[in-house]
Amino acid sequence: MAEAVGAVAESLPGDRARAARTVLDQVVLPGEELLLPEQEDAEGPGGAGERPLRLNAGTRSRGRVVCGPGLRRCGDRLLVTKCGRLRHKEPGGGSGGGVYWVDSQQKRYVPVKGDHVIGIVTAKSGDIFKVDVGGSEPASLSYLAFEGATKRNRPNVQVGDLIYGQFVVANKDMEPEMVCIDSCGRASGMGVIGQDGLLFKVTLGLIRKLLAPDCEILQEVGKLYPLEIVFGMNGRIWVKAKTIQQTLILANILEACEHMTADQRKQIFSRLAES
Amino acid sequence: MAGLELLSDQGYRVDGRRAGELRKIQARMGVFAQADGSAYIEQGNTKALAVVYGPHEIRGSRARALPDRALVNCQYSSATFSTGERKRRPHGDRKSCEMGLHLRQTFEAAILTQLHPRSQIDIYVQVLQADGGTYAACVNAATLAVLDAGIPMRDFVCACSAGFVDNTALADLSHVEEAAGGPQLALALLPASGQIALLEMDARLHEDHLEQVLEAAARAARDVHTVLDRVVRQHVREASILLGD
Repeated sequence: MAEAVGAVAESLPGDRARAARTVLDQVVLPGEELLLPEQEDAEGPGGAGERPLRLNAGTRSRGRVVCGPGLRRCGDRLLVTKCGRLRHKEPGGGSGGGVYWVDSQQKRYVPVKGDHVIGIVTAKSGDIFKVDVGGSEPASLSYLAFEGATKRNRPNVQVGDLIYGQFVVANKDMEPEMVCIDSCGRASGMGVIGQDGLLFKVTLGLIRKLLAPDCEILQEVGKLYPLEIVFGMNGRIWVKAKTIQQTLILANILEACEHMTADQRKQIFSRLAES
Repeated sequence: MAGLELLSDQGYRVDGRRAGELRKIQARMGVFAQADGSAYIEQGNTKALAVVYGPHEIRGSRARALPDRALVNCQYSSATFSTGERKRRPHGDRKSCEMGLHLRQTFEAAILTQLHPRSQIDIYVQVLQADGGTYAACVNAATLAVLDAGIPMRDFVCACSAGFVDNTALADLSHVEEAAGGPQLALALLPASGQIALLEMDARLHEDHLEQVLEAAARAARDVHTVLDRVVRQHVREASILLGD
């Protein structure tokens, strides 16, 4: 009976909150609560309300901690809402307390302002195009949001075309809006994606990994065949090589990269480079 | 009448378990590539498969869209080969609808629906083999599938069934124990806070015994949480190793 009581006691809710610093890069699950570094000091040894007197007041910066994807504020703690690894980034300019977020694997995209995505035009209604970006609503794209577009000079966009653009409005309460120009009015690579090529879907985690600054997969792929490639943060990749066969090989490699270790990948690349 | 002895004098049940012991649980996440989230769970001989799509556009009539929350749409289906006798169950029959409503109530309590207004989250659960505790297996499978899909949740939802025989509360009933006709209770719990998402019982049980049965079900649900916790951590570790972290 003693062990039954013990088992019940340790699973009671209560002090399950852990300091965020101690679980960095570890797996966290929904329902866990995390303490921010400031609360940790207040609850540390020395107890209620005692704070050591600091002579240089500037070092303890009580900056704002930014709560990223997968975390919600719950009272004065952070509640984990997705399963994944907890990450932290120190603030660049010394202000604020940094960003905490949960790196989770997901296939379904949720529009975020500023993300560059690949969309498929599904309808033309009046002055706007409806673009399917894989979220819960089609995004709207005005025909004036292309480089060099005026009321007389409409862009040549048909239903079924692929568009690479970025979100200017993307929150949970409004329909997402995207544009194909940047803040200076230049296209900078956005707009209608050309003919041919292949569009396929991968998970969001793989896209983030491929878009990381020092990604070796992309360098190896580039050495294999000459290609054009567009990555959308909504999990879509468009790829085009000289022949259809090369395009299909590249698409299969990128899709399989998710499940392969680095060694297996190098083997496949070396085998393809020989043939 | 020489009936089946559900609890022997030494405290063993029909399948050799103790009163508060769960059946063996095995679970896997990410079994379908094309769905946003999927999971498969085996609790003893009960096997359930859950698939989640969403959050996506509302299908069907736009009038059903809720302006401040996501719509959670749950459908339960039992395979024809799941029970001892092969029985063809039409799609909209009473039991499936009722189970669908129970699942919806359970998951609306756990999923953070305010983050996705005017969209829809679909949860489809199929029971492949039914050996008692089907509601619990469905809820556990659906929890893992929702986690696999990356939909934000307040907490896990863990469920277990419980019964009452010979003044002892039994946890995780099998089909033989359910068919014997005693009182049985299904409980879905959010383990971290101890809040109950759904409590269902449609039998007669004396009020004095309710506390004991509820306590047994809650303890069993927390044990299920321990197992599912391990499964999810293992899955996340494997996924992040392959992504090269």
